[in-house]
Amino acid sequence: MNFLVENWAFVGKGLWMTLRLALVVLLFTTIISTVLGVLATLKNRLLWWTIHGYVELFRSIPLIVNVFFIFFGAPMFGLDLSPFAAVTTGLTLWGSANGIEIVRGGLESVSRHQWKSAWALGLRPWQIYLHVIAPQSMRAILPAYTGLLTMLVQATSLGALVGVSEFLKVGQIIIERETVMTGVSPAFAVYGVVLLVYFVICSLLSWFSRYLERRLGRPVTRATIDEGATCKSPKSAGA
Amino acid sequence: MDFDIDYLAAQWPALLDGVLMTLQVTLLAIVCSLLIGVLGGAARVLKVPVLSQFVVGYVELIRNTPILVQLFFIFYGLPAVGMELSLFWSGVLCLSLWAGAYQIENMRGGLATVEHGMREASNALSLKTSHYFCLVAMPIAFRTSLPAVLNTSISLLKNSSYLQAIGLAELTFVAVDRIATDFRAIEMFSAICVMYLVLVGILALLTGRLSAHLQRPFRQ
Repeated sequence: MNFLVENWAFVGKGLWMTLRLALVVLLFTTIISTVLGVLATLKNRLLWWTIHGYVELFRSIPLIVNVFFIFFGAPMFGLDLSPFAAVTTGLTLWGSANGIEIVRGGLESVSRHQWKSAWALGLRPWQIYLHVIAPQSMRAILPAYTGLLTMLVQATSLGALVGVSEFLKVGQIIIERETVMTGVSPAFAVYGVVLLVYFVICSLLSWFSRYLERRLGRPVTRATIDEGATCKSPKSAGA
Repeated sequence: MDFDIDYLAAQWPALLDGVLMTLQVTLLAIVCSLLIGVLGGAARVLKVPVLSQFVVGYVELIRNTPILVQLFFIFYGLPAVGMELSLFWSGVLCLSLWAGAYQIENMRGGLATVEHGMREASNALSLKTSHYFCLVAMPIAFRTSLPAVLNTSISLLKNSSYLQAIGLAELTFVAVDRIATDFRAIEMFSAICVMYLVLVGILALLTGRLSAHLQRPFRQ
């Protein structure tokens, strides 16, 4: 185990790269999913088919093929993408295909009455989205989106295959180095530790997703507010 | 940049070999993962002591770690402790373990929908637990969990592409291997994208048929 302790700065760098990959992908995925997810709920045939096609395409192609396509294919189009850029692009395309579905499903889970009521109150479409639909759809979106984030963190390990020195790659390099120096492969221990670290990170995220689901899934009623109100009023009425 | 269709025609046999390898690994792993799913789901639902806690831990471990790391652990890590597996069987083992965890959850979901009355009725008929499970609960549960099982199987097919990382000559490996020598990335990747789409499509179609067939007695 001591080679992991000796290499702690290197390991830390790898973890930081994994975090950076995940955050960059999360940022772009969120932007694309929000915009396209909202557009997919509009009643426009052409728009719907385009977005639907994009979602189905990227959900049907293996993620690794998608990343390799961008990594090996981009130079053919004259684009010189760094491994980091290739991985983030590939993961973003895949992540937003999943994200769009989550956002669209969340927006459509809000009852039609909310739309009609807001419309009747004279709100503009963007006001309806922003003040009425979005806050209510968060109950469906947030838990699923945290689940997607867990998958994204796991998917960043693909970076190791195209040469981004993220956490898994760092593990591989340490194994190679130790094997050359000592002649014994520490693969079992190193990959075991890598598994464990991913497990801790993703378990926390999964736990947070379940927490959100429980917390946001509670029925929205006035009961709690009314209770607070009625607690005092009888006393004050009696006094 | 030109799209060379003749090149693809020339590479067709190699790609076909890749497809066959992908299919072999996938089908074997689907069967194994279903076995894991049924056994694990049974352990969870029948609340077998120790085993059911073990199954919970296994499912959590698989679902919260990247499949690529699992694969490397099996292929490079296990030989270090004396468990040497061939390339092919490492791949099958990895995919089976990965999909098995999801199949357990699918089966558990299906078994949870079996009414408690069924259990009481089979107790009244003095069926053994094993008989109740195999003859009463499983057929009902399998039908309800079928869509989820198929989804997992389709994911398994897509994830078989990860096996190229350890050098198993499946579809993605063939493509990457050829690109390294011929630099025809666009042609190759377009071809394998279409192939994966077709494979996923066929699997979805077959399973849709199966599902419709099983639902037939329950349609009005």
